[in-house]
Amino acid sequence: MAETKTDAMISTQPGYDKMPAWPYFMWIVLLSSLFITILIWVLSMFFNAPLEEAAEWAKTPNPAKAPWYFIGLQELLVYFDPWIAGVILPQQILIGLILIPYVDTAPEVQGYYNFSKRKFQVIFFSFGIFLWFFLIVVGQLLRGPSWEIYWPMIDYPLGGQEWTYPDQPLKTSQAKLYNLSLPVGITISVIGFIAGMTLPAMMFKKYFKEVGIIKYSLVMVHVLLTLGVVGKILLRLVFGIKYVIVTPWFNI
Amino acid sequence: MSTNLNNNNEVSFVPPFLKKIFEYIKSTPVWKSIFRVGYPDTMPKRMAVMRSSFYMHIFPTKVGMHGMKIKYGWCMGGITFFLFLLLTITGILLMFYYVPEEHRAYNDMKDLRYVVPFGMILRNMHRWAAHGMVFTVILHMIRVFYTGSYKPPRQFNWTVGVLLLLLTLLLSFTGYLLPWDQLGFWAVTVGTNMASATPLLGYEGPFSKYLGIQIDNDIRFALIGGTRIGPNALIRAYVWHCVGLPLIATALMIFHFWRIRKDGFSGPM
Repeated sequence: MAETKTDAMISTQPGYDKMPAWPYFMWIVLLSSLFITILIWVLSMFFNAPLEEAAEWAKTPNPAKAPWYFIGLQELLVYFDPWIAGVILPQQILIGLILIPYVDTAPEVQGYYNFSKRKFQVIFFSFGIFLWFFLIVVGQLLRGPSWEIYWPMIDYPLGGQEWTYPDQPLKTSQAKLYNLSLPVGITISVIGFIAGMTLPAMMFKKYFKEVGIIKYSLVMVHVLLTLGVVGKILLRLVFGIKYVIVTPWFNI
Repeated sequence: MSTNLNNNNEVSFVPPFLKKIFEYIKSTPVWKSIFRVGYPDTMPKRMAVMRSSFYMHIFPTKVGMHGMKIKYGWCMGGITFFLFLLLTITGILLMFYYVPEEHRAYNDMKDLRYVVPFGMILRNMHRWAAHGMVFTVILHMIRVFYTGSYKPPRQFNWTVGVLLLLLTLLLSFTGYLLPWDQLGFWAVTVGTNMASATPLLGYEGPFSKYLGIQIDNDIRFALIGGTRIGPNALIRAYVWHCVGLPLIATALMIFHFWRIRKDGFSGPM
C-alpha cells in the first residue's frame, strides 16, 4: 500500500476510528439517494423545463444568453474581446485548477477545514469562485436587451424583448470609450507584470524560498491574470477605457 | 462467528407464519446462490457483504468516522454521481421519443409534453437533474479544495476531477441544443461563436488569417459541422451528448472512484 497511502493520511494513523461500511455508510448512501430522487421528482412536478418557440435562424432574440454556467464568460465579453473572454480565460481557469495540487504541495491541512494555516490559498480560491458566480448573477439576472443593465426592481418600458426607445439609449451604450495609446498601454502592462511578479517575492521571502521560483511563477501568473481581469473591468467602468493594448492583430 | 450484534430479545411485529415463509425462502438454494453472505448481522458478515459483492465493492469495508460525517463531505461527490445515474436512466427513456432531425426535434419536444405519458415529468427530471449535477460538481470541487483533499497522494485525482467538471459542463451544453427551440439554439450559437475567436484556429481569432483559416475550415466549423447551427450541429450535439461524452466521463469516473477507493477518504494528520 506504500504507493497509495502516505504517513500524512488519517487512515494510516494508529487509533484511527473506523466503522463498518455496512450498515452505517450504506444508510447515508441510501438516504441521500432517496432524498435527491424525491427532490428532483418534486421539482419536476412543480416546475416545467423551459421550452420556447421552435428554433428560427432569422429571429435572433435580444439578448441571446448562454446557459447559466457559461454566462460569466459571456458577461466578460463586455470587457474583453472574444478570444480572451471565450478562449484564453476559460483555458487558464482549467489550467490553473489542474495546477493547484502541483503548486500547493505542503502536506499540512489535509482533510479538515482550516483558514489560518492556508490564508492565501483560501482567499485566492474563494475570490475566484466569487468572481465566477458574481459574473453569472450579473449576466443572468441583470442583463436585458442589448446586454444593458436592467435592475429587477425597476419596471422598464420594454416592448416585448426589444428596447422601444431608440432615441433614448441607455447610459452605458452611449458612454464614450477610449483606448490607451500603444506605448502607454505596453508600459503600464509591463510595469504591472514585473511589479506583480517581484514585489510579493520580496515581501514574502520565506514563502518564496519554500516554494521555489517555478511554483511561485505559476501561481503569480494566475493571480495576476485574475487581478488583471478585475482591473480591466474597473478601467472600463470607471475610466471608460476599452483597450489597454491596441495592435493591428489583436486588442487587449 | 464472532459476537452477535443483534439484540435477541427484540420485539417483532412480523406474524409467525410470514416469518416461516421468509425463513423458507432464505433457505432455498436459489436465494443462497444470489445472496451468498446472508443477513450481515455479525462483524465478519458485514465485511464479507461488502467484499463479496461486485457493486458493494466500490465502497470500502470500513469507513473512517471522520470522512463519514455529512458536515465534512456534504455528500456532494456521491450526489453528483447519483445524478449522473438518474440522468442516464431518464436520458435513455427520452431517447425512445426523440429524433435529432431538424424538422422533428422540436415536434418531439411537444409530443413529450402533450402526448407521451409522463413525458413532461421525464423531461423535467432530466433538465433539473442536469442543472443540479453542474451545481453539485462545482460544490464538490469547492469542498475538496477547502479540506485540502487534493494534497499528496491525491494530486492526479484532482486533475481527473477537473476534467470531469469540464465534461459535465460539456454534457449539459450539448444537451442544451437538442430541444431545438429558440432558447437552446441561440445559447449554443453564442457559445460556439466563442470558438471562432480562438487564436490561430478560429477564423475571427488573432493570427488565424496567416494560416489560411476561414469560416469553413476553422475549429468552430469542426465543432458544429457547418458555418452556422444547423442539422449537422444537431446530430453532432446529439451523438456527443448521448454517446461520446458519457463514455469519456464514465471512463474517467471509473478512474476517479478507483483512486478514492485506494487512497481512502481524506482526513487530518
